[in-house]
Amino acid sequence: MKRFECLQAIAAMINDELFVTTAGGATAEWNGVRPSDGNIQVKTLGLCSSIGLGIAIALPKRKVFIFDGDGALWMNLGSLATIGLHQPKNLIHICWDNRQYESSGGEPTAATAGNIDFAGMALNAGIKSSCSVTTVDELKQAVSHALSHDGPHFIWARIEAGRTVAPPLKYDELENKYRFVRYVEETEGIDILRVPMPASYLLK
Amino acid sequence: MGTIAGAQQILAGLKAAGIDLVSSVPDINMLQLINLLYEDKEIAHVPVGREEEGIGVCAGAHLGGKKPAMLMQNGGLLNSCNGLTTTALQFGIPVLLLIYYAGDIGDNAFHMVGLVTEPVLQGLGIKYIVMRDPTKVKQDIAGAVTLANSSKRPVALLLTRGVL
Repeated sequence: MKRFECLQAIAAMINDELFVTTAGGATAEWNGVRPSDGNIQVKTLGLCSSIGLGIAIALPKRKVFIFDGDGALWMNLGSLATIGLHQPKNLIHICWDNRQYESSGGEPTAATAGNIDFAGMALNAGIKSSCSVTTVDELKQAVSHALSHDGPHFIWARIEAGRTVAPPLKYDELENKYRFVRYVEETEGIDILRVPMPASYLLK
Repeated sequence: MGTIAGAQQILAGLKAAGIDLVSSVPDINMLQLINLLYEDKEIAHVPVGREEEGIGVCAGAHLGGKKPAMLMQNGGLLNSCNGLTTTALQFGIPVLLLIYYAGDIGDNAFHMVGLVTEPVLQGLGIKYIVMRDPTKVKQDIAGAVTLANSSKRPVALLLTRGVL
């Protein structure tokens, strides 16, 4: 299965869930398939799983998706243990495994040799809802289960290499952050960014 | 280990400044403070395995509306440099960095880490205060959090044994 057809299938299943997408091809493809202020891009390879965990802890009633990659997950494998420790019920962590650093030119990752079982690692880190999928139908079943059951969930999506041409992101990271935070404020009914009153207004 | 009174004063300062989530990796000198965090009901405590993870957790927590701090030793600051640069600084994330200053004058471990700590913070463009005076703890924490929020950047407090 190709990542792009998987993303199209997920887009048809979701509403206002939040999406944290790795420094890699999944970000442009996902924003092409589902443009939304509820998507936040990540620029630090590996950190999407930690950022997603932070959002999930801050907003425990909101479903949070992480789109990770095999190279990125390799860089931050410890995040599986941390997610297993904290058990965020609202977290859905998908690793798009194309067995290469595609955005860096296709070099091999730890997954290339075929020895790694990411789903088994997640399971043994304490993430009880963990599975491996190789077809779009299996992926849809796994996402459907994750959307309707408490997690944390981990889905090891074993995809073909190859990117689909997607438009460049419309917003840089700062604008993306502001739009994402404003979207969270509006949909959660909370204040996150408040500008203080100028000091002159506070004089008596 | 630090003292219980020192840890209580820092915890009270964090609460007064609005901090409501602390991610941590331990150091022996912050044992009392970390023990208090495990017991505290108002501040969410998120232990992580490596400090850069904690920078990610704090960034996500901010995006979700929390007021985060990262508690670590200065060796962990070095572990966090890419996350601080390409996540916290590049996205403009306010996060309080509470860093035990190992290798500082009077500390007998990790002198090389102590030597590079302030130059690394300066190189990253992260403003910091070296906390030595226990009577200024509350004021230093409040000031650092105010600047983090207004500048939308990380701000660091280097904790020495004098305040722990």
